[in-house]
Amino acid sequence: MNDRPLYLGIDLGTTNSAASVFDGSLTHLVRTSQGTTLTPSVVRIDARGVITVGTKARRLLESDSDNVRCEFKRLMGTSQRLNFRASGKSLKPEELSAEILKSLRADVREQFGFEPAHAVISAPALFELPQSSATSEAARLAGFDRVELIQEPIASALAAGWTENASGAWMVYDLGGGTFDVSLLETRDGLLRVVGHDGDNFLGGRDFDWELVDLVLERLSSGRPRRLLRSDSQNAVAIRKLKLAVEEAKIELTRMGCTSILLPNLQFGDESVDVDIEVSREDVASRCTALVDRSVAVCLRLLKAQGQEPSKVTRIVLVGGPTAMPVVRQRLSETLGVPFAEGLDSMTLVAQGAALYAASANLDARPSARINPDKGRRIWLQYPAMTSDLSPYVVGRVSEESAPGPASIRFEREGWTSIETPVTKEGTFVASINILPHRANEFRILGTAKDGTDFPLWPSAITIIHGLSLSDPPLSRAIGVALASDRTHIYLERGSPLPARRTFLHEAVQTIIQGNDASVLRIPIVQGEFHKAHLCRLVGALEIRGSQLTASIPSGSSIEVTLAVDRGGRLSAQALTVSGQVFEEISHLLVPDVPAEVLDQAIRDLRKRLSLLFASAFRNKNQGSENTARLGGLELRLTEAERDAAAGRAGDADAAQKARRSLIDIDAELDGLEQEAQFPKLESQAVMELSMAMALVSIHGTPQERRLLEEAAASLEQVRKSRDVIEIQARIEQIQALCRAAFFRDPHAWEQIFKFAASRINSARDLPLARKLVDEGRGAMHRGDRETLIKCTKQLVTLIPFDTETRHLGHDSGLR
Amino acid sequence: MILPRIARAIEENPFYVLGVRPECTRQEFEREGQKLLSMLALDLAEVRTYNTPLGERTRTTELVRRSMAELREPSRRLLHEILAALPQSEIHTSQPTRPELDDRWVNAPALFGYGRFREGRQ
Repeated sequence: MNDRPLYLGIDLGTTNSAASVFDGSLTHLVRTSQGTTLTPSVVRIDARGVITVGTKARRLLESDSDNVRCEFKRLMGTSQRLNFRASGKSLKPEELSAEILKSLRADVREQFGFEPAHAVISAPALFELPQSSATSEAARLAGFDRVELIQEPIASALAAGWTENASGAWMVYDLGGGTFDVSLLETRDGLLRVVGHDGDNFLGGRDFDWELVDLVLERLSSGRPRRLLRSDSQNAVAIRKLKLAVEEAKIELTRMGCTSILLPNLQFGDESVDVDIEVSREDVASRCTALVDRSVAVCLRLLKAQGQEPSKVTRIVLVGGPTAMPVVRQRLSETLGVPFAEGLDSMTLVAQGAALYAASANLDARPSARINPDKGRRIWLQYPAMTSDLSPYVVGRVSEESAPGPASIRFEREGWTSIETPVTKEGTFVASINILPHRANEFRILGTAKDGTDFPLWPSAITIIHGLSLSDPPLSRAIGVALASDRTHIYLERGSPLPARRTFLHEAVQTIIQGNDASVLRIPIVQGEFHKAHLCRLVGALEIRGSQLTASIPSGSSIEVTLAVDRGGRLSAQALTVSGQVFEEISHLLVPDVPAEVLDQAIRDLRKRLSLLFASAFRNKNQGSENTARLGGLELRLTEAERDAAAGRAGDADAAQKARRSLIDIDAELDGLEQEAQFPKLESQAVMELSMAMALVSIHGTPQERRLLEEAAASLEQVRKSRDVIEIQARIEQIQALCRAAFFRDPHAWEQIFKFAASRINSARDLPLARKLVDEGRGAMHRGDRETLIKCTKQLVTLIPFDTETRHLGHDSGLR
Repeated sequence: MILPRIARAIEENPFYVLGVRPECTRQEFEREGQKLLSMLALDLAEVRTYNTPLGERTRTTELVRRSMAELREPSRRLLHEILAALPQSEIHTSQPTRPELDDRWVNAPALFGYGRFREGRQ
């Protein structure tokens, strides 16, 4: 086995997967036993339970469709199981992904002579947390000891940046089999920075295939009394065969102008149909331009969010099989006008980037047991395994033992020796070393004892590769906790550098009784940028059950919640109760299942809201045309979601998930439009808040607060002109903050709050306690005992419950 | 008096967190940030705290990462440069004792007879 570290990167794709090994200088693609660099992400299980993966399984996709499964990546993180009829087995998507990973591991062993234990696996940037978690689980099932996840666009960027050595802003357009990611990147002074990214988890080559399937069905239906539909479960086998045929035709059309789809005796229900249909590039363009435009809209949204113009982007790196389609390239050129980066293998770029990332994360693929430990005193080192800096620091700590450690340490590589770096009394050292550009630099680490003799250390060598420094990847969506008030407490903002970790203190809104399993305090974890919790996606929940408690949690007691996300986007959470108990198991870390009737009801509700907004847009002549265009777009998306929901009813779990996601997005956009329609209301609220603040700040405010209020008033005027809903809300919050600060300087402020809370005790959760607090508060007020009054008021307020509907909207949160 | 948001911006100013000058180059703060992250990972005592005009504060890896990300963004860096260049005398004023301003009291002024009580709790 090679003595130097080897780094393994895996692109676990929807349609195909690939692996690459980086040796410090070059990336090597891992070949399958058939000699190809791509492993189709297809698994077959026969009647004896024998598992076949890749090309062999794919060959049987058509003829043995009940026992072959593909495209399961799109179902990662859901509870959907996939059945294999002959063996009677039923596997989760992550178990099937594990089979692909096992196959890739075996290929690495074949080619490099060792079974990899560590790897970096790519995942779409917009994978939800349950999907990332399922990917890690797949790796564990495949036998990997440790894996890190990397967002696919970062992997592509790293590989492209490694090869191209150019600088400026650029874009990675990654259209995979099932997902679309776009990233805006910047390379400057050897540092690769992800400026931002966006994407669509349910847009990919597969959608192009379905468009073409629909085209063929339309042509076949013409002249027939009954339309042939893909939502008809009787047509399932025929549709599967047709989809494979159009997929092949789509690939042929990347080289030819026209091709034929030939499928004799295709069985639609009880009717046998001979398919012989000619499809041209123009047909593909007419059916698929809308899909490409959807991806372009995501690109433009990303550029706008980052304040960039397409003209400032120097090039686009195309990743993924569907980017070979002429309609994609042509439409991108027409709409964005940015040149494409040439000479990169769009099918394996992600795997290569993942291997490079493994090097930067110092994740040697070789099993630790096979890396021979040297003899010597153990030292722990921290250094950038890959960097653009020619003089990086190496920081170390020598293990504590009874015998004295080394007095100094030096680093040596061919032709260069560092100065002797002294080791402190605590056994630490910080050394600056010198590396050679564009290569893997191996350094020997040499210790010197107090008497000047050699002092052996372990490890005795390190490797630092000169290349790109990768800045911390940004969090793709904000993560927070839903509160009982239906507000979202954002813990980690979108764009926060990963890894990230935040802790906040909350209060329980209900009492959780020790020993009672039905008594549960729920801490919902949500992803999304919305202040209203119900508009954010629920991605998991911490549940504190009475049966697990060592002491009851009284209503109003503190709960300390910590959320952390690692570099690959994996979430961990922790809740600490007042008694010191820690809860960290995230339950329901699943993309939720959605029953068909729930989808149907959601579609009906959204249609109703849409028609109300249409009516309002037509009435309002000022914003009418702009809003009707936006509403028109939403109506199209709703129709598409309806079609997916129908396919979901026919058994296509992926389509049902797609419908679910689309409906949440449409809901959020409608909410935005409804908020915009509320602008006049917000405007009058802002004016009211301002007058209230002026009254309070003029009496109780400091000179600085008065000045800040004047500035806020001026800025509010600007916002009223621009009619920006988000901005006006921000101004209102700013004015409220100043108002609150002034209010609490009023000597009677707490009395007022107390009186208000006391007037509502009939709805209090613990009435006897509430009455006692009211009596105590009144007494304190009478005596002029401010401290007791504040204490009583604070406790009293926690006893006033949130209404059930609001709490339900806040994902049944047990926190405030 | 300093409002909490401004106080936080001063306390968490990336130049103070990373211990670099406002005129430092990108390479300098990247190198310094990397060094601090390495030292924090090995729990070296000398980097656990850092100095600000408002006193000593605790340095964490999250804060260092966030600071590096802030300085990579030119417009954000400019903002921090301005704050870091403020004369110390303007920053060194005592902070008033402030009432608790958590979410629960967002409607407090409304109880005083102003506006309406929000959050659907009426």
